Amino acid sequence: MIKFYRFSLENGLRVLVHEDKSSPLVAMNILYDVGSRDENPESTGLAHLFEHLMFGGTSAIPDYDKPLQLAGGENNAFTNSDITDYYLTVPETNIETGFWLESDRMSGLDFSHKNLETQKSVVIEEFYQRYLNQPYGDAMLLLKPMAYKIHPYRWMTIGRDISHVENVNLDEVKDFFYSHYAPNNAILTLTGNISPDRAFMLANKWFSTVSKRMIKPRKLPEEPVQNEERRMTVERDVPATALYKGWHIGKRDSKDYYVLDLITDLLAGGESGRLYTKLVREKKLFSEINAYLTSDIDPGMVILYGRLMKGIDIQYAEESVNKILSNLKERYPAEKEMEKVKNKFESSTILSNTNILNKAMNISFYELLGNPDLINNEVDEYKKTDRKMVAEVSQKFLIPTNCSTLYYISTRKD
Amino acid sequence: MSNSYRNQPTVRNIDLGKIPEPRLFILRNGVPVYLINAGTEDIVRMEFIFGAGNKLEDLPLVASSTNMMLSEGSRNFTATELNRLLDYYGTFYNLAAEKDRAGIVVILINRHLEKILELVREILFRPLFPVKELNALMKKRLSWYRINCDKVHVLATDQFFESIFGKRHPYGRKVHEDDFSKIHPSLLMDFHSKYYTSGNMAVIVSGKIPRQTTNLLNSFFGDIFNNNIYIEQARNQLKGEATKKVNVNKPGALQSAIRIGSPTINKRHPDYPGLKILNMILGGYFSSRLMKNIREDKGYTYGISSSVSSFDLSGFKMISAEVSKKNTQKAIDEIYREIRLLQTEPVGKDELDVVRNYMLGEMVRMFDGPFAIAESFKSVWEFDLDNSYYYRFADKIKTIGPDEITSLAQTYYNIDELYEITAG
Repeated sequence: MIKFYRFSLENGLRVLVHEDKSSPLVAMNILYDVGSRDENPESTGLAHLFEHLMFGGTSAIPDYDKPLQLAGGENNAFTNSDITDYYLTVPETNIETGFWLESDRMSGLDFSHKNLETQKSVVIEEFYQRYLNQPYGDAMLLLKPMAYKIHPYRWMTIGRDISHVENVNLDEVKDFFYSHYAPNNAILTLTGNISPDRAFMLANKWFSTVSKRMIKPRKLPEEPVQNEERRMTVERDVPATALYKGWHIGKRDSKDYYVLDLITDLLAGGESGRLYTKLVREKKLFSEINAYLTSDIDPGMVILYGRLMKGIDIQYAEESVNKILSNLKERYPAEKEMEKVKNKFESSTILSNTNILNKAMNISFYELLGNPDLINNEVDEYKKTDRKMVAEVSQKFLIPTNCSTLYYISTRKD
Repeated sequence: MSNSYRNQPTVRNIDLGKIPEPRLFILRNGVPVYLINAGTEDIVRMEFIFGAGNKLEDLPLVASSTNMMLSEGSRNFTATELNRLLDYYGTFYNLAAEKDRAGIVVILINRHLEKILELVREILFRPLFPVKELNALMKKRLSWYRINCDKVHVLATDQFFESIFGKRHPYGRKVHEDDFSKIHPSLLMDFHSKYYTSGNMAVIVSGKIPRQTTNLLNSFFGDIFNNNIYIEQARNQLKGEATKKVNVNKPGALQSAIRIGSPTINKRHPDYPGLKILNMILGGYFSSRLMKNIREDKGYTYGISSSVSSFDLSGFKMISAEVSKKNTQKAIDEIYREIRLLQTEPVGKDELDVVRNYMLGEMVRMFDGPFAIAESFKSVWEFDLDNSYYYRFADKIKTIGPDEITSLAQTYYNIDELYEITAG
């Protein structure tokens, strides 16, 4: 049981605290309710570029990292379609440095031209390193716009096109900050060796002076229901052909989410998952295969991908995948198999709770979903899932007219 | 009112405190078990370690394939049954073979302890190495290998190890396509019976350890004895290649991967903590010289880092980055410039203070929770050291001066001795 306390400052900052005295450290997580879905379609990649700029210093504290390192701390951040998340851990005696740094950069940044230009080129290198200079690195850049026609999930967090990042100017950056970075658009979570009293005292001391801002209202277009099979074939100089499939699903807070998560575990949870057992181990069609949920807050996707063994026909491979999916719709899984995936959820939750930083990130995200108690009862949602729901939800979502399929064909001869 | 009126909080000394010492328990057959009892959740991590790493293999892939085949079928269970049962009990496991050691890490829910230990015994001591599963595994591995050969960072790292440790030593030699067809069950059975033995084994248990753990370990593992097999000493020699500069050509690559470094002292050497501190300043953390210059000032790369690591027979230092092709040479020149600077100019007090505190904070993180404590313990234990290494290290962090750092840079970063590998 993770015990936590929650309160809000007058400026709208939500603060959550979970004390764990067994740790010598405190973890501090600040989640900003802004992600790549909040970007202008003609200026994508800005949320993530902005995450880089947040380390560029302020007029009061020109270097964010050094004072934290001097306090023995370590920090990082990530951006996805929905959120931008900043986190640090520091020995408990020096946690106040974290409050000082985070409240300062929430107050305002020092937007320098030089910093912007450098971070643009860092992000462009990141684009190459993670997407363009990796075998299969562009697959998701292709699949997402097949599935999403109007919702911003159609572009990846890194951006739709490198030129978008290249062309960002200082005014756009400033505007992005003042319309998304504010106490009333953030969640502060503290975990580890800190009492709730101390945490609330420090939150008040440091954050209450940051003023509330007008947040740009989120008006995202709803993705229309997909009613036809979508297919694309690309040829690439890669060692093996790969298959990608994506199906639309409901929102993160819909009941179906847990059933679908459990379905992806039946399919691909560990080496005993159905896809691995049947298609890698028995039929030897794939060298690896996986399925997962994107876990987006707006309606997301089930993604399935596999890399084929040499000489295997991709249509045959796809039919074999489809057979496994049909089986889910037609036959109830054995009770034992249901128990297996539920047990795995339980143990991954326990494992995740052994780490103060994980706990801080999870509590923040559940608070954003509007239900921080999920840190303790999400496992029950999985437990409630039964065999019938698995079949029904598979029938509802895992159908061809809801699916985008990408054939990623190897042109390599050897 | 702006927060800029508020003063920076005073930074307090970072104290490593007392490192929890593991309790030693010895099984009937002499296998040492180290117990680190801490934590808040009913979960335990068990690492079964064997001196069965690549170092001991006569052919590439033998140590790793032996290890990977352990869960591919045993006397009492097929591969599918083993995996299904481990998943059923909510267990996480990871088989791994490294340069010096190999084994399995199992994370399990306490109430399933007995069941899981039975399965672990099957995996470690009763594997069958079935030929059908082995052939399938080798085909899969070949397929993964080919994909890895498309990644510039893999090409550069493999070439780096071959260059610094030599083609004839398992630390250095690269894997080639035809190696995958040379692996047969008999090779793996032989390797297994020589090195997965009680005399070659240790266990590290961490977490909220159930009371019956030591008894159960004794009943499952206490009666396993060494196979009396004569083991010939390996005649492999560590010897770096003569050519210091190698480019692995990868047509069409957008970026080059850079690896610069050389063999060096390992954890057993008294200068090692000092060298780790020097490495931190050069490229070990976000505000390091290499990051500040090559990423944060020039924007040549998404990330650049340097590391100093230890194997049993040697240590090595390595600087790594991926850089757009047009900037590769510029980045390399800057790397050498930063090394020369450390050899000639003393490190300033402010920078050294930041590094001291950052590293002390790092040490606190290394002992945050039972699993972290277990990993930190393992990384000294495998060099026949104990936690006094960490106290010495912390002491060195607090006392090292600029002159010592300059002198370490001169001794250990002789530019003429560095290998310079690029792939792209």
